[in-house]
Amino acid sequence: MTHRMDRMTGMTGAEDARAELIELLRRVAGQDRSALRSLYERTSAKLYGICLRALANESDAQDVLQEVYMTVWTKASRFDATKASAITWLSVLARNKAIDRLRASRAPANDLNAASDVQDDSPSAFEILEQAQDSTRLDHCIEELEERAKLMIRAAFLEGASYPELAKREGVPLGTMKSLIRRGLQRLRRCLER
Amino acid sequence: MSDDHTTSGAPNELAGEYALGVLTGGDLERARELAKSDPQFRVEVARWSGCLAPLLDSVPPADPPAAAWDRIERRLGGQANGNNVIQLRRRVYQWRGIAAAMSGLAACLALVLVADIRPPAPVPAQIEQSPAQPLVAMLGDQQTKVKVVASWDPAARQLVLAVPGEMPSDAQHSHELWVIPAGGKPRSLGTMSAGKQMHMRLADALAQLLRQGATIAVSVEPRGGSPTGAPTGPVVASGVLSQA
Repeated sequence: MTHRMDRMTGMTGAEDARAELIELLRRVAGQDRSALRSLYERTSAKLYGICLRALANESDAQDVLQEVYMTVWTKASRFDATKASAITWLSVLARNKAIDRLRASRAPANDLNAASDVQDDSPSAFEILEQAQDSTRLDHCIEELEERAKLMIRAAFLEGASYPELAKREGVPLGTMKSLIRRGLQRLRRCLER
Repeated sequence: MSDDHTTSGAPNELAGEYALGVLTGGDLERARELAKSDPQFRVEVARWSGCLAPLLDSVPPADPPAAAWDRIERRLGGQANGNNVIQLRRRVYQWRGIAAAMSGLAACLALVLVADIRPPAPVPAQIEQSPAQPLVAMLGDQQTKVKVVASWDPAARQLVLAVPGEMPSDAQHSHELWVIPAGGKPRSLGTMSAGKQMHMRLADALAQLLRQGATIAVSVEPRGGSPTGAPTGPVVASGVLSQA
């Protein structure tokens, strides 16, 4: 016990919080409700912020927040601590759910293709591979992007804007928007793999 | 295949666009098919999600309303393992939370109730060894005006905070709660929600630190909590845990 206490107090706050979230997700996977509650207390403000940003509507954001934690309750075992940090996994999950909701609400009721966006069990929703790099490096690579590409990529990822929507918003041809974003993505990728 | 992709030979480009969420129409269909059928494509999408995830760090956190958790808990209540024993246990937990805030005596009574119902819990041995008496800290400022009463129930790992007075706050800041073990460094217990009472269930690692003599403190931090993991703002209230 002393050993464990020493180790815990010797860790930095950030490492400690990281380890704690991993442990909470492990317990949630074992259907420990108190662990879900603790996880909610530690992460809900961040995830709710992400939902609000995407949906710009408190009622929808609360619905999606609920969906996110229900998904965590049933799918926590899909989290793999060797591939991503817990907070990244949760954040991307919240983002994906919020964007799905956004698409579903925009789609005409009879548009089955758009409605199928809401297949929240698509494998990609749970699979995230983080670069084994510190977050300042990732921030740096995003900051390095051309200003306009950065804005567009941000609008797409955080607010769910598609190519046609971004092109319309910026008043440029669709092809121009695609080139701008593709260049931005390639540059981001090259920077991260440098 | 759409013309839009003929110029690019990069196999991961479509995966990047799919992860970013900009695709529509035929390109979106194609990406979805690949996500189902091609494991390599899924790896690419996962990698791109990891690249884009730091964008989420820039989104400001926002406290959801208290009712948001209640709705989740209600849905959990209807799940397969929500059998009678668990339902009962949950009610006892809730009651116990109120009791702990009211008095040590009531809390002890609740502990007895729960002890019979609770299955052998898979808790680490050190938790069982820790003293099971409820602890209380009166958190005040320099004028020793009590601002927060913190009651700690070790058996339930539940910390109940009662805020009898005013805790002035604004939209840019959060109140963050800390435990400072005797001779140790402050460890965050999370940010406080607005309201007169707050219940927190703590993870084992943190629960171990809430012992007699440890200090509980509240600091003012940027909204969402300290960015560094250590207190960065002024401490507006603190007090030492002692037996209730």
